[in-house]
Amino acid sequence: MMRFSTLLKHPADWMIGADSDSAVVLTSRIRLARNVRDTPFPGWARKSERIDILSKLRPAIEDLSEMKNAFSHSLGELTSVQKQVLVERHLISREQAARSEGSAVVVNRAQTLSVMINEEDHLRLQSIRSGLHLQEAYELIANVDEQLEKELPYAFDHELGYMTACPTNLGTGLRASAMLHLPGLVISDHISQVIQAVGKLGLAVRGIFGEGTESLGHLFQISNQSTLGESEKTIISRLERVIRKIRDHERNARLKLVEDDPQMIADKIARAYGLLKYAYVIDSKEALNHISLVRLGADMGCFPQETLQLCDSLLMDIEPAHLQHHAKRKLTPEERDTLRSEIMRSRLQNLPSPIISFIKNPNTD
Amino acid sequence: MLTAMQCDHCDSKATVFFTQIIGSSSKKSSLCEKCASEKGVTDPEGFVSDDVDLSSALEQAASMPHIPEGLATSTQAVTKEPGNHLCPGCGFAFDDLKKTGRLGCSQCYQFFREEIKLNLEGMHKDTCHVGRVPAGMLEAFQYQQKLEKLEQKKAAAIAAEDYEKAGALHEEIEKLSAESQEGSPTTNTEP
Repeated sequence: MMRFSTLLKHPADWMIGADSDSAVVLTSRIRLARNVRDTPFPGWARKSERIDILSKLRPAIEDLSEMKNAFSHSLGELTSVQKQVLVERHLISREQAARSEGSAVVVNRAQTLSVMINEEDHLRLQSIRSGLHLQEAYELIANVDEQLEKELPYAFDHELGYMTACPTNLGTGLRASAMLHLPGLVISDHISQVIQAVGKLGLAVRGIFGEGTESLGHLFQISNQSTLGESEKTIISRLERVIRKIRDHERNARLKLVEDDPQMIADKIARAYGLLKYAYVIDSKEALNHISLVRLGADMGCFPQETLQLCDSLLMDIEPAHLQHHAKRKLTPEERDTLRSEIMRSRLQNLPSPIISFIKNPNTD
Repeated sequence: MLTAMQCDHCDSKATVFFTQIIGSSSKKSSLCEKCASEKGVTDPEGFVSDDVDLSSALEQAASMPHIPEGLATSTQAVTKEPGNHLCPGCGFAFDDLKKTGRLGCSQCYQFFREEIKLNLEGMHKDTCHVGRVPAGMLEAFQYQQKLEKLEQKKAAAIAAEDYEKAGALHEEIEKLSAESQEGSPTTNTEP
């Protein structure tokens, strides 16, 4: 079985921007909600019932061919820092992190597939890919779903589809989402228009850690809201179409910023670089926003190509639980801000100063 | 594969489910018939669960146990509370959906179907499922539909006094149900 330390030491491809085209769309994610029929949903079941359900579901998940030598733990066996680290890596939800005995998480070795047992539903299957690849992510999860439906008596109704604890997930039980980096639209002040338009199409826009979270680091999560009355294919292809459009808007916004106000954008990128490289105290919000600008700079050719991956791994390594795991002890917020700046300085040590090639006739000449 | 709900007090199958509302909190219980009558569940005045404060329970005597119709053997003793039905599968009260946004089990959808459907409009694109159906369930569904159609035709034939046709349809129905019993519907591939 895969250990926690192994999982942490080898971040998944999608966590470090493996796809050649992940500058705007970082990741694509599909999740399915599934339940076993005539058995209380986790939130309504007694603890003893949850433990009983878990003991039947967990072997079925662990026996999946995709789950060979997987990471499989009861939430009761993990420390609160370990659970929080899994949240920061998007492998479990915040809701699952609050649970203990009677709930579990199983993640495959490549960390492209994670299954939460007894979260809001009996099963939450999730697949993540780098870049815009919703269809691929869906194929993996559909394959797993087909294997499981042979073993488990799913709660299914011909009218209402897959029956879920919350009626908002009825039907397909499918939530497709993508994580987008939109600094161009934020800086040029077009983001609220985009969010409104996306909302009108029945899609939801959220911050980096899902429901109820603030957008930090110019990162946005876009997902479908309706799950009933449309097929999986329709839901996914519509979301994909919208995301392609937003990606084009973001690219145009970046080009326009460089054209209209190159000094302003160069200043933002260069200041962010300086701040991250030389700061001694930095909080999470400030760090995320400056990493975002360096990431933007990498896409604009100011930094070497691999800087994009450096930024993506920094985005998770500077999160509170990752820092505490790194320090092997609980840290006060002040201690975290100091350690965060240390990590930042060491990782950026070899990063050369930005090359601002888009300013054609610098005024300094 | 998952076991039926067990009685809270012994290992028998629970058949009596109810929720007690004490002040602002509620307590779920599942009991078998024997324990239920021993505990006096069927007597609205007599039952107080071991871990419930008696004085607060008495204050709330008006909302004492309600047992869903058709489940307990002697429901006559229980005063019925209209509008507060409990799911026979898990004892979930529909009113709790407003508080938690979540239901108790898959049977809640059967029991509260009409109420839930009212809430679905505006939440989703449509109120009828389109998309994947678990394997086996599709065949079972098609089989059921076929059977219903044949039964309807047979009834129509009988009504029209066309007994020859009704006889042929009857044979067809027999054949269909014999086929479905040969192979279990989950492993049976379409001929």
